[in-house]
Amino acid sequence: MSDAHTSSDEDDLYDEGDYYSQSADIESEATEADIEAYHFECVTPEDVDKLFATAVNDLTDKLILQEAGVARMLLHHFQWNCQEVVERYKKNPAQTLALARIRSITVSPDNNNAHFCQTCFQNLRSGEFRSLDCGHQFCADCWTAFLEVQIGQGRSTEIACMSQGCDILAPMEFVLQLIAPKSALLEARYLQFCRNDWIRTHPQLRFCPGRNCQAVIRVEQILAKRVKCSFCQTQFCCRCGGDYHAPADCETIKKWITKCADDSETANYISAHTKDCPMCHVCIEKNGGCNHMQCSGCKYDFCWMCLGDWKTHGSQYYECSRYKENPNIANESVNAQAREALKKYLFYFERWENHAKSLRLEEVMREKIQNRINQKVMAKEGTWIDWQYLLDAAALLAKCRYTLQYTYPYAYFLDPGPRKELFEYQQATLEAEIENLSWKLERAETTQRGELGNQMVIAEKRRSILLKDFLSP
Amino acid sequence: MANIAMQRIRREFKEVVRSDEQSIKLELQEDNVLSLTGYITGPEKTPYEGGRFHVQITIPETYPFNPPIVKFTTKLWHPNISSQTGVICLDILKDQWAAAMTLRIVLLSLQALLSAAEPDDPQDAVVANQYKTKHSLFQQTARFWAQTFAGAPGPLNPDFQKKIDKFLEVAPRADRHTAIQQLSNFDWNIDKAIEDVYKSD
Ligand SMILES: [Zn+2]
Ligand SMILES: [Zn+2]
Ligand SMILES: [Zn+2]
Ligand SMILES: [Zn+2]
Ligand SMILES: [Zn+2]
Ligand SMILES: [Zn+2]
Repeated sequence: MSDAHTSSDEDDLYDEGDYYSQSADIESEATEADIEAYHFECVTPEDVDKLFATAVNDLTDKLILQEAGVARMLLHHFQWNCQEVVERYKKNPAQTLALARIRSITVSPDNNNAHFCQTCFQNLRSGEFRSLDCGHQFCADCWTAFLEVQIGQGRSTEIACMSQGCDILAPMEFVLQLIAPKSALLEARYLQFCRNDWIRTHPQLRFCPGRNCQAVIRVEQILAKRVKCSFCQTQFCCRCGGDYHAPADCETIKKWITKCADDSETANYISAHTKDCPMCHVCIEKNGGCNHMQCSGCKYDFCWMCLGDWKTHGSQYYECSRYKENPNIANESVNAQAREALKKYLFYFERWENHAKSLRLEEVMREKIQNRINQKVMAKEGTWIDWQYLLDAAALLAKCRYTLQYTYPYAYFLDPGPRKELFEYQQATLEAEIENLSWKLERAETTQRGELGNQMVIAEKRRSILLKDFLSP
Repeated sequence: MANIAMQRIRREFKEVVRSDEQSIKLELQEDNVLSLTGYITGPEKTPYEGGRFHVQITIPETYPFNPPIVKFTTKLWHPNISSQTGVICLDILKDQWAAAMTLRIVLLSLQALLSAAEPDDPQDAVVANQYKTKHSLFQQTARFWAQTFAGAPGPLNPDFQKKIDKFLEVAPRADRHTAIQQLSNFDWNIDKAIEDVYKSD
């Protein structure tokens, strides 16, 4: 079973409890080239297996290979680029097989010791020995025990020969032959690990990051676009697997999340807001704007800016003239920089947090709207269809605010200049229209339906203009 | 699986005993084949020369498909070995292990590690830093440790001795091991070593 979607025309718009997904159609806007549109398919592990099997068959035919195992290893090594494999193989088969660690160019080990196993140190009949393409012979029992340990540690396509320094890989058929008779569970785990490895190297497949979800997303090209798993309904960025983050790109959002989690900001705060008393070295926090400090420990009066005795500051009570003349005094510049950096971060962080909070509050509001509609319909004040526009408005509000929230990390990392100015102008405009929409929706009883509709169009227009100008395709 | 492990250890044990090498030795710990003690002698022309170092070897059930777990029980001063715990940083005991390797190879590799440290892949950052920035002090310290803990011959460094005595005077609750460890950590700067002891109190 497979399930194709384009994120801009989802069919389950009004599905309850799944708030952000609802891309309310504003007919006039959605038809224009939607910069967020992205075609993807949501497929099952079985679909993926079929896809890999077809690719392997294809290559086996094209190169007239004897073993499917070789084709599979070549494809895995060259990121499932069939054309590249064919070209390389036709030009230089030995080198291609060596690159994929299937066959080694140089060694051909002697088989003199084929009755002594280097691993269990036992003398055995030669019929009990197995080897990979490299010819390093070990007994079947040792191979099986070795494979069990390797699979137990989560390895599959990377399992290599047991011989020291030999990096020839074990084909799937070789592994299965030894472990399948021993344990069906082990076999199943091995096959699952293999499939996961192949998906990781495949340039058109992505795991769904949803909890316990086995689904795989299939796209033409992996981009930082929004996809929604049709099995578990998780929405995510197809490129990085995190929450969708337009207009910020994957790297920016990763930096931002790391920054927010990082304690170094707290450290910055401490260095910007605390100093040691110059007399008794107790750590003092500055909490007011006044530079005249008195140490709570030793009652020494000093100047925050220059750490000098306050008595020498004479009548200029609120300004440190010494600091004015020499801003580098007492390493103040380091502290000032830290303070500036922190102020900047807090500015963006507060807005980021604030919009996240608003999103949660508006979700509560949406539930209220839902209840109100139910009551009205029960009281025969119109039908469900009559009131649907309120839910559409709530969905659009969420969508716009979600984008607005992600404009703050984007702006934080933007270099100062005309581009940043333009961005912040558009951001401010979007913010204003969103607050407008939120205000009107909260007072929907008294707002004209047409007025609300207009505000929806305006807000979405602002959002799409911002994305069009700043979201890299 | 443990069968292969037992089988291997018995064979390997015999191999080391038979080989009659002077510089490495292997002993079974009573009635437990999966736990052994190894001995190596410090290689010539190194600060470890003439010392006898013990390692504790634990054989996992999955041996030889996983490496043995090895650590020094004799204290020693070396960038790739923790001066506190004896834990070793050596590639063949981690991802470079191969099933065909043996305990004999492990002991010989440890001996080689004593001759040629790899300070860029350290287990003990303090030692590695001293190795790189104050190499002659590192050699004297490593020698002092080998003499003190591994029975390497020769007269002890009198300067170090004096500092240890002074340290013990100032910090009477500390023992000799702690004094040596602290002083070594602080490049034998007695003031810093003492200050640090009081800081962590
Ligand atoms: Zn064997
Ligand atoms: Zn091999
Ligand atoms: Zn899913
Ligand atoms: Zn992303
Ligand atoms: Zn004070
Ligand atoms: Zn001042």
